[in-house]
Amino acid sequence: MISLMRAEWAKLFTTRVWIGLLIGACVMAGGFAALFTGLAGQEQNGQPGIPAVGTQQYETLAFSVPANTSVLLLILGVIGMTQEYRHRTATPTFLTEPRRGRVIIAKLIAYALVAVPFALVIVAVDVLVVMIYAGARGAAPSLSAGNLQTLGASGLVLVVFAVIGVGVGALLRNQVAAIVGALVYLYVVEPIVSGIGAIQAAYKWLPGGAVQAMTSDFQAPELLRPWQGGLLLLGYGLVAALVGTLIAVRRDVT
Amino acid sequence: MGSATTATSVRVEVRGLSKSFGPVKAVSDLGFTVEPGSVTGFLGPNGAGKTTTLRMLLGLERPDAGTATFNGTPYAALPKPVLTVGAVLETAFHPARSGRNHLRVYCRAAGLPLSRADEVLTEVGLTDAGPRRAGGYSLGMRQRLALATALLGDPPVLVLDEPANGLDPEGIQWLRGFLRHLAHEQGRTVLVSSHLLSEVEQTVDRVVIVGAGQLIREASMEQLRSGASGAGTVLVRGPEMDRLADVLTAAGSSVSRSDGDLTVAGSTPAEIGHHAFSAGIELHELRPHTSGLEEIYFQLTAGTEQYAAPSPGSTSAPEAAR
Repeated sequence: MISLMRAEWAKLFTTRVWIGLLIGACVMAGGFAALFTGLAGQEQNGQPGIPAVGTQQYETLAFSVPANTSVLLLILGVIGMTQEYRHRTATPTFLTEPRRGRVIIAKLIAYALVAVPFALVIVAVDVLVVMIYAGARGAAPSLSAGNLQTLGASGLVLVVFAVIGVGVGALLRNQVAAIVGALVYLYVVEPIVSGIGAIQAAYKWLPGGAVQAMTSDFQAPELLRPWQGGLLLLGYGLVAALVGTLIAVRRDVT
Repeated sequence: MGSATTATSVRVEVRGLSKSFGPVKAVSDLGFTVEPGSVTGFLGPNGAGKTTTLRMLLGLERPDAGTATFNGTPYAALPKPVLTVGAVLETAFHPARSGRNHLRVYCRAAGLPLSRADEVLTEVGLTDAGPRRAGGYSLGMRQRLALATALLGDPPVLVLDEPANGLDPEGIQWLRGFLRHLAHEQGRTVLVSSHLLSEVEQTVDRVVIVGAGQLIREASMEQLRSGASGAGTVLVRGPEMDRLADVLTAAGSSVSRSDGDLTVAGSTPAEIGHHAFSAGIELHELRPHTSGLEEIYFQLTAGTEQYAAPSPGSTSAPEAAR
């Protein structure tokens, strides 16, 4: 199992996909952190916008920014799995280890572990930008227990999304379909569900709702408790992984 | 190379193998044996089920029925399969990864020392190209890299699916020598598929011929050749072909005419030359047209092609044999 995981890391780091995704995620995290901090406390069209620097609401929002880059970790996992089918390396991979379940499990663990340093870097960029910019605007947040919990939850979201990505990749196998499908789901389906009153109640059970439950500290009765959200998201990751594994084991390699 | 070369000899046995894709029977009740120390050609027209059979042999596709084993063990149950079987199927690698890194990935996965990657690169003559992106390799280099991947575990069995595809004449020459060396001097079991007998004729010791998913013939090359002697056709040219046709027909050969040329089946060039000389007929050209082996192969596989085009000049179904 260890040797299979080593092989997965070798596959990942001998192409350059990971650099692009990590840089993209850092730029996204830093950019949103700066944007939220810059807009904090300003009124938008007479409505209260982002809470002012120095408030707990602002700090929770700013420290949950890393979770917004989860789509890039999802893509990392999707590419990690689907490139085997896209470039037909699934054949030598499954020839080397015909117990395909072990290959998929090694991939899931390898990507979960590799997502940890990725998440740490992305969280660090977010913290750096928030500390400097909010400090310049008068009140650098303290790394209180609550804020650390938000940061930890954001990082955990990233790790789980990498695992979900591997599972989705094993499920769909087609790289373009898997990435487009994931984007459509995250940016079209979930916003619609959360925006339509009649089915809004379902949103808290979706991955997006789980992420919000984990990272937002607002009084939000329509969301699960943070720990429940965390369990739910982990559940999604495990289900995607399990279904993906079963499919890879049963289907012919073509 | 050399460690496992003489250690184990592994016999490959296929018994009652069957596989359907929807209504199409790709392979039905196929059985054959591949012996150690020899190169076995796995022959048949395109669509005969060769690749499907090899993929079932390697545990990549699930047979509907039957077994394929290596000394009695199916591929998926081998403790460390790459130490027993090396396979060259379609050439598969990430274009952005170097050939050397590609090999090192599979060294890691199989728990082999990373130095094996450089050793097999040398064996297939790719040492200089190793650090370059595999996406930039020529077709021949890709085939060599696929072969290098198969050799990583120094396996006693090698399974190759159409390995000559994309190789230039020099590459084919090299591959022939390499496969014979692996089998004859190192005692490995080599199974190599091809849709052309002429491509592997000089390489293989035995043939397994399939058509439409079924076994047509399993034989040694000697057996095939002995059945093929005199089965070839001979092309004859000259000013008196009508008279020669009568003479040869009377002698029991079958003769066909086109553009004043004579194509003769059932006689050797020597016999035809003798008949012509006896009858005082002038000849301008006398040469073998198709080899007996090719003719036998065509006859054996005729009518089993999945997507045969009608032969030129005929509007109906393909001729049974040329």
